[in-house]
Amino acid sequence: MAKIVVTHQRDKCIGCNYCVELAPDNWRMSKKDGKSVLLNSVDKKGFHTTYIKPEEEEANRLAAKACPVNIIQVRS
Amino acid sequence: MTAKKFELMAPAGNMECFMAAIQAGADSIYFGVEQLNMRARQTMNFTLEDLPEVGRLAREHNIRTYITLNTIMYDHDISLVKRICNAAKENGITAVIASDLAVLMHAKSIGLPVHISTQLNITNVDSVKFFAPYAETMVLSRELSLRQVRAIYDSIEKEHIVGPDGKAVELEIFGHGALCMAVSGKCYLSLHTENASANRGACVQNCRRTYKVVDIEAGHELEIDNEYIMSPKDLCTIDILDQVIDAGVRVLKIEGRAKGPEYVYTVTKCYREAIDSYFEGTYSKEKVKNWMQELETVFNRGFWNGYYMGQQLGEWTDTAGSKATTRKIYIGKGLHYYSKIGVGEFLVEAQSISVGDKILVTGPTTGLIEAHIEEMHVDDLGKMDKAVKGQKVCLKLDKQIRASDRLYKVVNAEELVS
Repeated sequence: MAKIVVTHQRDKCIGCNYCVELAPDNWRMSKKDGKSVLLNSVDKKGFHTTYIKPEEEEANRLAAKACPVNIIQVRS
Repeated sequence: MTAKKFELMAPAGNMECFMAAIQAGADSIYFGVEQLNMRARQTMNFTLEDLPEVGRLAREHNIRTYITLNTIMYDHDISLVKRICNAAKENGITAVIASDLAVLMHAKSIGLPVHISTQLNITNVDSVKFFAPYAETMVLSRELSLRQVRAIYDSIEKEHIVGPDGKAVELEIFGHGALCMAVSGKCYLSLHTENASANRGACVQNCRRTYKVVDIEAGHELEIDNEYIMSPKDLCTIDILDQVIDAGVRVLKIEGRAKGPEYVYTVTKCYREAIDSYFEGTYSKEKVKNWMQELETVFNRGFWNGYYMGQQLGEWTDTAGSKATTRKIYIGKGLHYYSKIGVGEFLVEAQSISVGDKILVTGPTTGLIEAHIEEMHVDDLGKMDKAVKGQKVCLKLDKQIRASDRLYKVVNAEELVS
């Protein structure tokens, strides 16, 4: 089965909270800097990446679509 | 009152604009830090790490500095709000410009002065009284007439409404730049179409586009003269500056944190001259005409006086972008400055430049330099009339340039089209 990859370009996050509302299993707001955090992700030069479960794909696609600054990518 | 007591506040989205504002004679500069400001979408914003340098430059040049911290705030933002306020205090930033009550409370608790943002939409003296224990300066709603501004000012004087510093509350208004189609930024268009809240600094500017008005039931399309049905012209008050000052305004703010250094420089310089001439008693229609011409050379959507003169309806622009009479074209980058002979060397990376061209040099330390090319030396060829892509060119410049600088040519907008 193809892996589903989510990427978050965290520097550009404006902390609107949409991703947390739409995909709460994979996203949290950081109380430290007010930006969202993609759970269990690895930071490679500002691109935070993780694999998600198939049942989480739809919610993350909605989050990617809702993101006002287009910094969330879901690939499968 | 003297010119010293009247404050001209310029915007800065980055260091280039910050230096350009200082060079043009701003009394104070406002800017955003991290994402909690009304230009969060723009890549141009300062970070917490920049604050020591900003504070140092402000002290060196004796200017006041303000951090915009005026989006709506959620629980997850409060920690960052506190860090920004604390860092502002530590680095000698003069005040924060705030609208959320959480910011007012925290700033007050650490003794950091506050300006009430136009996002709080102050339109009457009772609101001024309410916020007076928190703020020395209040930015009034952009929708007031100068008559209403004057009434608020008179009440402040009469009722001795004072801020936390014990001095009468000072009134600030927006004097120049882009206007929002909604009341003081309270717009939900961008949120509803793109999930991008203007009130979190992510406005996608729906109002700047063209629209058709269609009667859905009958299918008729209404004939309208101008399809930019909700894109306001830009605010300009240089021609009514005497009335602005007489209305009791003490701080005049220029909009434009997303604009370039040439914009900040030109607009700040024009208003600096206008304010100084008002206090010297030499403010005249002839001068206003010249300033207006200069203001038209940089980004604008056409000008109007906003609501200050009591117009009933807004005036709408008829273009998508700028009506600026000049444009800047990227030519190349700075290489070296020969300080003994006052010559800057550049590498031409695009287009070409010739003797007689007007040029701009901008950079984070340089700010902005304007000049006309009187002569140039190209590569090892000696004195030439023109330099093209790939060549190194030496130009006589009074001010130092640096390797981080960019060289632009200024051309007339009409020439660019043809």
